[in-house]
Amino acid sequence: MKPRVFAAFVAPSLLMMLIFIAAPLVSVFGQSFYVTQPVYEQVEVETCTPGFPTANCVTETKSQPVFDAEGRIETRTIFVGLDSYRNLLQLDRVGGYLASGDWGAILNVDFWAALRFTLMFTLITLPIVLVLGLTIALAVNNAVKAIRGPVIFMSLLPFIITPVIGALSIRWLFIGDGILTVALEQLLDRDIAMFAQGWTIELMMYFYRVWHVAPFAFVIFYAGLQTVNQDTLESAIVDGANRWQRLKFVVIPHLGPLITFVALIHLMDAYRVFEEIVGFSSQSHVISLQWLTYDFLQPDDAGNRAISRASASAMLTMIGIVILLIAPVRRAWREHKGVR
Amino acid sequence: MIRITALAAAGAVSLLGSAAHAECSFENDTPVSLLSAGFEAWKAVSDAMAECGNFQAELDQEFRTKQPAAFAANPSLYALGGVANGTITPLVNEGTIRPLDDLVAEHGQHLNENQLIRIDGQVMAIGMMVNTQHLMYRADIFEDLGLEVPETWDEVLEAAAAIREAGVVDYPLGATMQTGWNLGQDFVNMFYGFGGEFVDAQNMPTLNSEAGVNALQMMKAMTEFMDPEYLVSDSTYVQQQFQQGRIAMANLWGSRAGAMDNEAESDVVGLVESAAAPKATEDGPPATTIWWDGVVVAQNIPDETAEAAFRVAMEGLDQEMVENNNDAAVWLIPGYEPTRLAQGAIATLQAQPNARAYPSTTAMGLMHTALGNGVAAFLTGDKTAEQTLEDIEAEYLTAAREAGLVDG
Amino acid sequence: MATNTLRQPLSLRLASGTFLAVWCLLAIFPIAWIAVMSIKTPVDAFAGSFVAVLTGPATRAGGQGLSVLDLVLGGAVVIALTRWAFTGLPGIVRRATPAGWIALGWIVAALLYLALFGLVVLGVLPQLLDALDAVAGPLGVPVIGATFEHYYAVWVENAFWRNFVNSLIVTAGVVTVSLFVGTLAGYALARSPSNLAFWLLIAALIFRALPHSVLVAGYLPVFINSSDWLAPIFGEAAPTLYGKPYAVIAVLVAINQPFTIWMLRSFFQNIPTELDEAARVDGCTHFQAFRQVIMPVMWPGVITTGLFSFLLAYNDFLVTSLLLDAQNQTMVPAIASYFNRETTTTDQVEAIAAAVSITAPLFILVMVFQRQIVSGLTAGAVKG
Repeated sequence: MKPRVFAAFVAPSLLMMLIFIAAPLVSVFGQSFYVTQPVYEQVEVETCTPGFPTANCVTETKSQPVFDAEGRIETRTIFVGLDSYRNLLQLDRVGGYLASGDWGAILNVDFWAALRFTLMFTLITLPIVLVLGLTIALAVNNAVKAIRGPVIFMSLLPFIITPVIGALSIRWLFIGDGILTVALEQLLDRDIAMFAQGWTIELMMYFYRVWHVAPFAFVIFYAGLQTVNQDTLESAIVDGANRWQRLKFVVIPHLGPLITFVALIHLMDAYRVFEEIVGFSSQSHVISLQWLTYDFLQPDDAGNRAISRASASAMLTMIGIVILLIAPVRRAWREHKGVR
Repeated sequence: MIRITALAAAGAVSLLGSAAHAECSFENDTPVSLLSAGFEAWKAVSDAMAECGNFQAELDQEFRTKQPAAFAANPSLYALGGVANGTITPLVNEGTIRPLDDLVAEHGQHLNENQLIRIDGQVMAIGMMVNTQHLMYRADIFEDLGLEVPETWDEVLEAAAAIREAGVVDYPLGATMQTGWNLGQDFVNMFYGFGGEFVDAQNMPTLNSEAGVNALQMMKAMTEFMDPEYLVSDSTYVQQQFQQGRIAMANLWGSRAGAMDNEAESDVVGLVESAAAPKATEDGPPATTIWWDGVVVAQNIPDETAEAAFRVAMEGLDQEMVENNNDAAVWLIPGYEPTRLAQGAIATLQAQPNARAYPSTTAMGLMHTALGNGVAAFLTGDKTAEQTLEDIEAEYLTAAREAGLVDG
Repeated sequence: MATNTLRQPLSLRLASGTFLAVWCLLAIFPIAWIAVMSIKTPVDAFAGSFVAVLTGPATRAGGQGLSVLDLVLGGAVVIALTRWAFTGLPGIVRRATPAGWIALGWIVAALLYLALFGLVVLGVLPQLLDALDAVAGPLGVPVIGATFEHYYAVWVENAFWRNFVNSLIVTAGVVTVSLFVGTLAGYALARSPSNLAFWLLIAALIFRALPHSVLVAGYLPVFINSSDWLAPIFGEAAPTLYGKPYAVIAVLVAINQPFTIWMLRSFFQNIPTELDEAARVDGCTHFQAFRQVIMPVMWPGVITTGLFSFLLAYNDFLVTSLLLDAQNQTMVPAIASYFNRETTTTDQVEAIAAAVSITAPLFILVMVFQRQIVSGLTAGAVKG
């Protein structure tokens, strides 16, 4: 394919990605080194607010932005270098904790707490999703033909359901005296509050994610199982391989590329965990990297957004993604070279 | 698009079966739009505004995010905005809402002096309702156990202990302590109750003080008597706890009082009474803040539109609307008849010394965010009170420097 | 094949069967449970015991419920109608539509079927059952509390159908544009061995991994002020992009592009190159070869990728909640507004009813396209 033809085919898609993904990304990168802020002045202001039955008036000193001749707020943009990164990472504090041997205290710094959870979330759910997906696939493959259809249908539901709704539906089961909490209480004969401490919330988040993603792994593996070479299987049987050995030496190697594929997709999706934090309102106990960025960008009542720190946190998140992807990309590059 | 929405609005109105247009005092022919929060009172007001025609309301849960940008556009995307003490700050700061003195003189003589929100001498918003967190309690339980209605938080704790002793409810106390805005708000209430100040004249934080420590410890003491899931309990959750008879007391928003007597949802109809917000110290103000909600008019619109918008707004805030929706809020508008459950809000507003109005300042916005994220660490036992306050101050300072509010 | 050696011991079969049963229960329980909650009054919906929520005593006390007769007859009618959709309907469609118009035929058939289903289940059945209950004696007494008032409140009083229409517009737009743009790029990437193509794919992969909140927050001010900065190009007619469905469609298409082109590329790779080479020898340009030779054999890939685009657009919350105004709001952010305003318990049950309503089309989608999802995912994934 000639470069010009190639360009014509790719252009629309590329253009959209450039405008809506690459351009914002570049601007985020730039913003992480600058701070734009209004210029404030101190003024005495009398404010009257409703009371009952008469209004309350108070005079106080307030900081107000200065307006320029056109009635717009005067702002200044300052180059702050790596300050925003420093504010985020708080390396001096972390260094202090490390020196004093108080390792757990590092998690008092939001960024590190978010990083801890994001990584743990990604790494804990990954094997569970793979194993559960594979087990379901094997079990369905093992089942009589007639029930496979309905089982696949039911299994797909957690995967296609709107994530916000899925997380909420699980939250409703557990919050307060939710139906499953009550059941658990009766089973264990003790008072349980699933939303009262960090680890139970974390547990529910893992549970939700596995519930949501395992069907995806299952479908991919199940389809892969349909193409397992029967001859190889039979010769393995002739060689006296038992069930476990057949699974280990024939089936799993056959599924190898699919396992990599599922793992890769899951790594990327789990790394940007976000809906769970909102759905389970877990901010006070656990936060994730994407939530941290989101939180910096949320305006408070007075309209302040921490754009610079948000950009810095976004860039650090990006770096994490790139590190995660280095290995698969190198493999893909080698294959690409090989194909040529 | 406007035509379609007008049609839809007309359809909605006719579904409700009210004879729409006739009730508005004038025929509005300028398109007017409103962006506000979406709770009950706003629904009542925007429905009343719609009677004048050519009106489009957007009750949006993201209004806080959208409002500053939408009003800064030229022309502004909305003529009217619904704001509260906190959310008016960015609009005033950016000069995107207009002073209303002239319009009040021309079309708003009937307004209560109390409704005119003045900033630096100019009327910037028209208040419609006040809201505050005050004590609600199960009168039946208090009577059975022979308890006095508590006036201070220490008395609240004593009463809570007695109720727990009697074992009549799951948890004696409820509180809106969901991490984030709600938790920050509860701290603000308690901190003001102990006579604290958040920042000094240079916007430097003055949080790490006796008042701060006292406020934290009082909150911690409260959690002893609360559902252990308090860090996810927002107003709706506390309201439900009341309705299902699981708690006996809470410092809850006045706007929630009506729900206690909603027969479709509540098991405790007629059993909940309200009183002034408890004080933190014997002779201090009630440990709460006063909030108001009201209407503002955009700056970046033609004067004629602004006039039409203001007249529509007056129509939405008239006596007739209040009479039809008396229970939806503690209205500031003439014609409001306080109900049994509004007594707590009124007692709070009349208490001496005064409870403070929530301050509309940039610094407070930053402080509130830092509090909402930081206070939980003390309640969960991760940090000491001093450490918690110090960390919150540090977070506030970082944000304030980034916002340009303090130097260096 | 030596079936004997492959036959499994009973214990293994039992274990595998039990496991499947447990998994299926886990998979559907949360969804089924919210469906049950949505037809109860608030008191029952948030009750503390399984039995209370299932049977709904308070709902029944309010005089709303289903009798044994309702359950049996109603269930039978619904099941029969559903079965007919898969057994009877396809034959009719095939016979009634001329060759080449089968896709259109299916769309018409689906719409007619939905209308019929709605008419029977929502229109005729309740009237009929009410009449029968009155004369059926003990069989006609409500045994299970059930009320559809929340659905009525959501769809009729709160005009949820408008959100539904908005969702349809956005989803249809995203699927169409994303497939159109994506097939072109996917084809080129599959057929080009250059390093540029490789790095484009890697860039797409990184874009795919990006947290969306990073991008989305940047859009809002730009979209709201678009009439200012678009003025030099469009003059007076410069639109405000904020609140416009087409702007949201563009954003969602862009965000979805990385996944789309990766997936479509894998499908194109499965189509032998000889096919386009033959077409090129016959004198076709690249585009003609693509349009007339390759696309006709690409349908499975296009359908699968389309389904994923559908899911993304339909399920999106972050972009739609921020960039659309209330008039053009899609269903998912509309639900969130039930929670964020000062809610009552009734509002919460209505939100649950709305949540179930959102899930219903997805439910149907899986039922219809189950096979395509399974086969398509593998075909796409094996090479990916």
